[in-house]
Amino acid sequence: MDTTQLLKGVLDLAVLAVLSEEDGYGYDILRRLREAGLEEVGDASVYGTLRRLFAAGLLTTYVVPSESGPHRKYYALNAAGRDQLARSGKTWRSFASTMNALLDDRGMAA
Amino acid sequence: MTVTGQEIADYVDRVRAALADLPPAVRDELTEDLPEHLAEVAAEAGGTLVDRLGEPETYAAELRAAAGAETGDRPTSLDRRLTAVRARVGTQLRTLDAQLGPLLGYASVSEFLRPLRPAWWLVRGWLAALLVSVVLGEPSGLLPRLDGSVLAGLFLLAGAVLASVWLGRRSAGLGGWPRRLLRLGTAALLLFSFAALVNVDQHASSDEFAPYEGVSLRKAYDSVQDVFVYDEQGRLVRNARLFDQNGVPIRLGWPTCVDGTGVVPPPSNVYPYCPEQAPFAPPAPATASPAPSVSTSPTTAAPTGSATAVPGPTVSSGPTAPTPAPTR
Repeated sequence: MDTTQLLKGVLDLAVLAVLSEEDGYGYDILRRLREAGLEEVGDASVYGTLRRLFAAGLLTTYVVPSESGPHRKYYALNAAGRDQLARSGKTWRSFASTMNALLDDRGMAA
Repeated sequence: MTVTGQEIADYVDRVRAALADLPPAVRDELTEDLPEHLAEVAAEAGGTLVDRLGEPETYAAELRAAAGAETGDRPTSLDRRLTAVRARVGTQLRTLDAQLGPLLGYASVSEFLRPLRPAWWLVRGWLAALLVSVVLGEPSGLLPRLDGSVLAGLFLLAGAVLASVWLGRRSAGLGGWPRRLLRLGTAALLLFSFAALVNVDQHASSDEFAPYEGVSLRKAYDSVQDVFVYDEQGRLVRNARLFDQNGVPIRLGWPTCVDGTGVVPPPSNVYPYCPEQAPFAPPAPATASPAPSVSTSPTTAAPTGSATAVPGPTVSSGPTAPTPAPTR
């Protein structure tokens, strides 16, 4: 199964989860997602997701000047973003356990 | 750092071009941070942007999907170009709108036009009533008619105007195909009204009551100077008037003689202008005197002659007439 199709549905949740541990800028968030195992996630997907979450009012941003390179735009969760993370997390866990049970019942190996 | 600012700018431009079909506000919202973001990416690792991120068009497609800004079906390149053209035309129209506004004393032309919309609704109702009237085969004019009745036409007019105003007050909330249908209808109505107004204008400018116009065969009678009309008995008819099949007076020739007051009379359509120039006979009053003498001589022959050629009572005028009846 193509993981990019699956990613589409859960990238919001993944980005929110990554940001809940620590604020981050675009490339940093991409790197942390890849380190967490989502290796197929693309830069444009992360950037687009950040723009959308920001437009939806779930994120705040601030710019951190850098002496060596370009300024970095950091994204942070706000209260609405944390709410959304909690709700989406629950939805995902219940969905995932449903799918796991469905596969377990039919003797599919993990 | 191997990636230059120019490379980033080019990349951003191509991404924006690939997103040209999105509403400008959405596209700006999506790409306003892109240069900074790409600068961050460029600062992290080596290689060109295309090496690391793929072609800008691919990047744009992924961005579009991730940001939830997909425009329904995946648009074909033709669609995309069309929407891009439409966006450009729209931008130019908005610029023009704002530039021409001050000529009218308003911030923009559309601001000037907006209060006039109810007036357009009235006109639209009138045009729709005219269209209905014409479609039903009524003669085209400026008032709609139903079955040739102006009163019924006025009811139709009132109904159409009310419907148009009602539609106008509701059309702001329309979307999707009803809106498209409305626009199509409006375009058709405007096309029809242009044709109808041209038609009415032609009727108005061709003055059917213009005197002395369209005289038939004028060229063939160029050499005619005066016209002498004789009745059945060869008597000169004075003050004859000539008309063609449309009731248009026929004017031929011109007066060449002076009248009683010593001046040449102006041309008119009363003939002949100069009775004394008649080619065949002396003027009509002179023919009256010899009549009785003829009727006395052939008393028995007259009834037979009249039965074949001429009605009986007319024999009295025999001598002046070119007909052979009296001689038999």
